[in-house]
Amino acid sequence: MNARCITELTLIFGKDHILTELEDMIAYSYDAAHVEVLPEVVVFARTTEQISQLMRLAYREKIPVTPRGQGSGLSGGSVPLQRGIVLVMDRMNSILDFDPANRLITVEAGLTTSEIDRTAVSTGLFYPPDPGSVSFSTIGGNVAENAGGLRGLKYGVTKDYVKMLEIVLPKGDIVRLGNRCVKHVAGLNAESLFVGSEGILGIITTVTLALLPIPEHRESALAIFDTLENAAQAVADIIAAGVTPSTMEFMDNTTIKAIQNFKDCGLPRDAEAVLLIETDGEFHSAQAEMARVEAQVKKNSARQFNRARDAEERDRLFEGRRVALNALASVKPNLILEDATVVRSRLPEMVRGIIDIAARYRIMVGIFGHAGDGNLHPTFLIDMKDREEMVRTESAVKELFQLAIDLGGTISGEHGIGIEKKPFLENQLGEASMNLLRDIKRTLDPENLLNPGKIFDMPAIY
Amino acid sequence: MHTAAKNQAETHLLEAAREFQKCMQCGKCRSVCPVFKEMGNELYVARGKNKLAEKIVSGDLQISARVKDAVNQCLNCKTCSANCPAGVSPEHVVLRLRWYITTQEGLGFFKALLFRQIVWRKWPIGLAAVLVGLCQRLLFGIGPKNPVRHLFPLFGFSKRRNFPTMALRSAQSRYPEVIPARTGAKRMRVGYFTGCAGNLIYTNVVKSVVDILTAYGCEVVIPKRQKCNGTPVLANGDYEGARRLMEHNFNLFKKYDFDAIVVACSSCGLSLKKEINLFIEPGDELTAFTGKVRDINEFIHNSLDIKQEHLGPLPYRVTYHDPCHLVRGQGISAEPRNLLRRIPGIEFKELTEAAVCCGSAGSYCLTHYDTAIKINNHKVRHIREAGVDMVATACPTCVMHIQDNLLQHNSPEDVRFVVEILADSLRAAGTI
Repeated sequence: MNARCITELTLIFGKDHILTELEDMIAYSYDAAHVEVLPEVVVFARTTEQISQLMRLAYREKIPVTPRGQGSGLSGGSVPLQRGIVLVMDRMNSILDFDPANRLITVEAGLTTSEIDRTAVSTGLFYPPDPGSVSFSTIGGNVAENAGGLRGLKYGVTKDYVKMLEIVLPKGDIVRLGNRCVKHVAGLNAESLFVGSEGILGIITTVTLALLPIPEHRESALAIFDTLENAAQAVADIIAAGVTPSTMEFMDNTTIKAIQNFKDCGLPRDAEAVLLIETDGEFHSAQAEMARVEAQVKKNSARQFNRARDAEERDRLFEGRRVALNALASVKPNLILEDATVVRSRLPEMVRGIIDIAARYRIMVGIFGHAGDGNLHPTFLIDMKDREEMVRTESAVKELFQLAIDLGGTISGEHGIGIEKKPFLENQLGEASMNLLRDIKRTLDPENLLNPGKIFDMPAIY
Repeated sequence: MHTAAKNQAETHLLEAAREFQKCMQCGKCRSVCPVFKEMGNELYVARGKNKLAEKIVSGDLQISARVKDAVNQCLNCKTCSANCPAGVSPEHVVLRLRWYITTQEGLGFFKALLFRQIVWRKWPIGLAAVLVGLCQRLLFGIGPKNPVRHLFPLFGFSKRRNFPTMALRSAQSRYPEVIPARTGAKRMRVGYFTGCAGNLIYTNVVKSVVDILTAYGCEVVIPKRQKCNGTPVLANGDYEGARRLMEHNFNLFKKYDFDAIVVACSSCGLSLKKEINLFIEPGDELTAFTGKVRDINEFIHNSLDIKQEHLGPLPYRVTYHDPCHLVRGQGISAEPRNLLRRIPGIEFKELTEAAVCCGSAGSYCLTHYDTAIKINNHKVRHIREAGVDMVATACPTCVMHIQDNLLQHNSPEDVRFVVEILADSLRAAGTI
């Protein structure tokens, strides 16, 4: 990048908000995916106007721009594949408006998601989506990736809470989409287009979110199973019985053993699977729902069903789930965390399929995740220095994606497509859909300068 | 480079690699790192340093001024390792990098003189302490407007820095090597590692420890010729210097048959319990030694039979700040609080974010004063919100740094060691 551009960027952002040294470029070359590309310059935005100026500059000079929140994404959304400028949003982190009467909050995109609850809790409200990175990811990143979490089953995901977005379009125009009203049908439902857009259509600068009242009561329980089939069937039966738990988490035997080796969380090593279940709502309804859960669990010959009597016991029950990823990470040098998802009724087939794939490719796999919404996290435990194992892993991952598609599911439930899953997307969506996505991208970003190379590749400009 | 030095340099990089290879790059460290919170640049957060180390090991990056800047911007507060989902200890990566850089570039004249010469000799430290102590007294404590402050930058310190007054007579020289138990039959023989700060600055801590232990049937032995525990030396990149100090203290203390070895400094405790394992050949002797080391709060709480009637009333509202090397380094947080809560008259108030680093981090707050103060400003804010007369803690550099910044804010709270407050209470009841 030429010196004139750097000077111009410095004028836009200020000298304390721009980095150019090699060491700093290394620090902004990666996120939680396993891809690294050095940017040429890193800028930290503080206003929407600055970003608009940046995009005008980028379009004039044909420089790629990659937006970045806290760089916690698992699909490489914030990696600057074609170098250029990394635009860091984490200094735009103010709460602009809190409107408890209408259960709305408007925040800048760089705010850490968990900060929303710190404000909302004072009036008995909360923001339901709770991705694993809730305390170290930005709300802008969550919107761009349409982040999920443990409560997806009852409370949905990020897209269910986005009311309004302020967005800088690739060519620098600033738009405000959506409305504060509960009902709003004026114009296209355009804000939704940007939810899950992985930063390729526009840069989200402010977000207005819907909040919900904190449920009065939570009931928690741990169910222990001797067979995977019983656990998976119990999940299907609980849903079929008309119960909607707020959380229904699954952990398989590999995960249980890893947890027990990591830290004694009181889980039985010989159990084939456990389910962690929570119901919430008004006191009696949460209890009644849990009673129905218990009946379904027992019908599926659970070995044990432990209900937490207080918050302390609940924390104890959930301790294993909280350290599950840590525990799996300690088994082998590296891990690949996938998020292939199926509809709940096909969960037993999915679990069996994953175990079969892992066995055929001789790779250790731990399966845990959000069974209640069909979003499992098959986690391959590997050593990336072992080339031969890496080759097997790649094949296994490929088969895993195909399995999800064959079962009518999706190759990504909550992490996004990003870089590494690009080759598999067309398989799921089909050619016509892919053409539509490319047309949308081309309309907004004809030069393909905003986060190029994510979700899908654009054909060379003719 | 010498072959030995080259081998050591390679060992450091290998050890660093063993840690950073576990990093999943999730970014959770961003939400907990006190330095990152102030700097706002990923270069300074744990995963950023892991990545730098990776690039240095792979040969893609040379040691540069920017690399050194990043590597030196670490408090060794262990908050990242305590919160890391992948179980990485980034502070070990940082330490290995510092050691590696030292093997490449040498220690520099000042640090070599300090770590290899001065800390080994009794009189230069004693003399320096007396000279500084005299100056401090003659200049009336060097108030905020004292022109002497203009000399501070010559020594690499900020003009604004307040220093505690050095003792004119070291604590160790006030006691015989063996101090007999004062009451009843001797129950235990306890070795006491005073640490430099206890010996030369916070001598009242040494007095408190000796008074309490001897009153409860302990024979206290303060072995002469004990040296710096090595923590500041290893934090500054001098692996070899730290090894020599650790070895010296280990050999000195293992000669005695102690029931316990107590320390009243959280970093001394951590180094004698854990860090020493990096330097001394593993074996029964080392296991026996590290197994006997106790933080003073831990020892008093678990091993001394202090009855409620032994404690006299103290009219303070007190809060407690967790030193990093005690709470995360040694897993001790309940004991000092319990000791304070037991004292009649004391109103104990929990501090918001009590276990967040205060920014002192040994010499960090001297070399990176501005950032250290920014970090500490949160601590001071929480202390003032707590509405207390006194902050209790268990680490000399925490005391020094928090006290400094309270003074900068014209805030009247006192900062003291838990063991001092406890001794006052025991004195108030005539127990000691």
